[in-house]
Amino acid sequence: MSGGIYQFEKIYHGLTAESGKMRVAAAGVAWKATDSEKVAYVQAEDLKWAQWLRVARDFQLRLGLRDHRKEKFDGFTREDHDKVANVLKTHFAITLETREGAFKGWNWGVTDFQGQELAFIVSDKTAFELSLADVANSNIAGKTEVSLEFTPQNVSKGAPKNMGDELTEIRFYVPGNITKLKGPSSDA
Amino acid sequence: ASSGKEGKGWKKFQSYKGEGALPAEVDRLRIVIDRKAQTVILPIHGFAVPFHINTIKNASKNDEGDFTYLRINFQTPGQLAGKKEDTPFEDPEATFIRSVSYRSPDGHRLDNIVKHINDLKKEANKREQQKKEMAD
Repeated sequence: MSGGIYQFEKIYHGLTAESGKMRVAAAGVAWKATDSEKVAYVQAEDLKWAQWLRVARDFQLRLGLRDHRKEKFDGFTREDHDKVANVLKTHFAITLETREGAFKGWNWGVTDFQGQELAFIVSDKTAFELSLADVANSNIAGKTEVSLEFTPQNVSKGAPKNMGDELTEIRFYVPGNITKLKGPSSDA
Repeated sequence: ASSGKEGKGWKKFQSYKGEGALPAEVDRLRIVIDRKAQTVILPIHGFAVPFHINTIKNASKNDEGDFTYLRINFQTPGQLAGKKEDTPFEDPEATFIRSVSYRSPDGHRLDNIVKHINDLKKEANKREQQKKEMAD
């Protein structure tokens, strides 16, 4: 079965507020915003792997690229899973891998640096990830506390009424040894 | 708060068994309070991350310019005045989230969230207290 084009509606590219359409064809994956000219492409030959995980806006399709970048698309429903898995298999011979999330409600775990991301892992499952590229400042206080401050995305006034709540800071308590939280690129 | 004297052991609690139990409105990337699950769900970098009320110490807010800031403090080791060996944590050597801060132009909504979190905390404390009295 070749040449099939699959379409998914109301998909978000990364953390953007606007949704759009995703099309998957033999040539690759394309996304276009509904209300603007924003687009995103992934060429078939650049695609290395694909993951499926639960995020806030339903499910995320995460595509790993040849140059180690990742493209993330949110807004897939649970029912989309099989269709997405099929189309990735058919067009790109890629297996959609499911990544388990943590929903226990615990505030303790393990931090893990994965490329440009800091993952917080609870009972071997991912609770969330933070992008180190968004960290505006970091501080170490009293050897056991690390704080990360984030650059606000929405500047004052004109902020849309439907915008999300913005995380501005997170503090970690690292008993004993602060180096546990230090990764190769954590000196931001 | 929940570090009562009724036992030194950590008592297991859990918000959800799986992602299917998350309230639908987490898709707005805003803080959601799920009273039934005794849980506050925080939007963190596109994830919906539940925190059981037992992990929360308190919540507060302050207004700055066009925005209202909300801060949630969590229970972590190393901040209790009492003896260390009484600390009821499953894994005191783990990495803990100690606090998070959010901002929103909608101060009224954050006011409500703070109130709801602190109410939830009060109820949890009260239940804990009642359990202790029953045990005596």
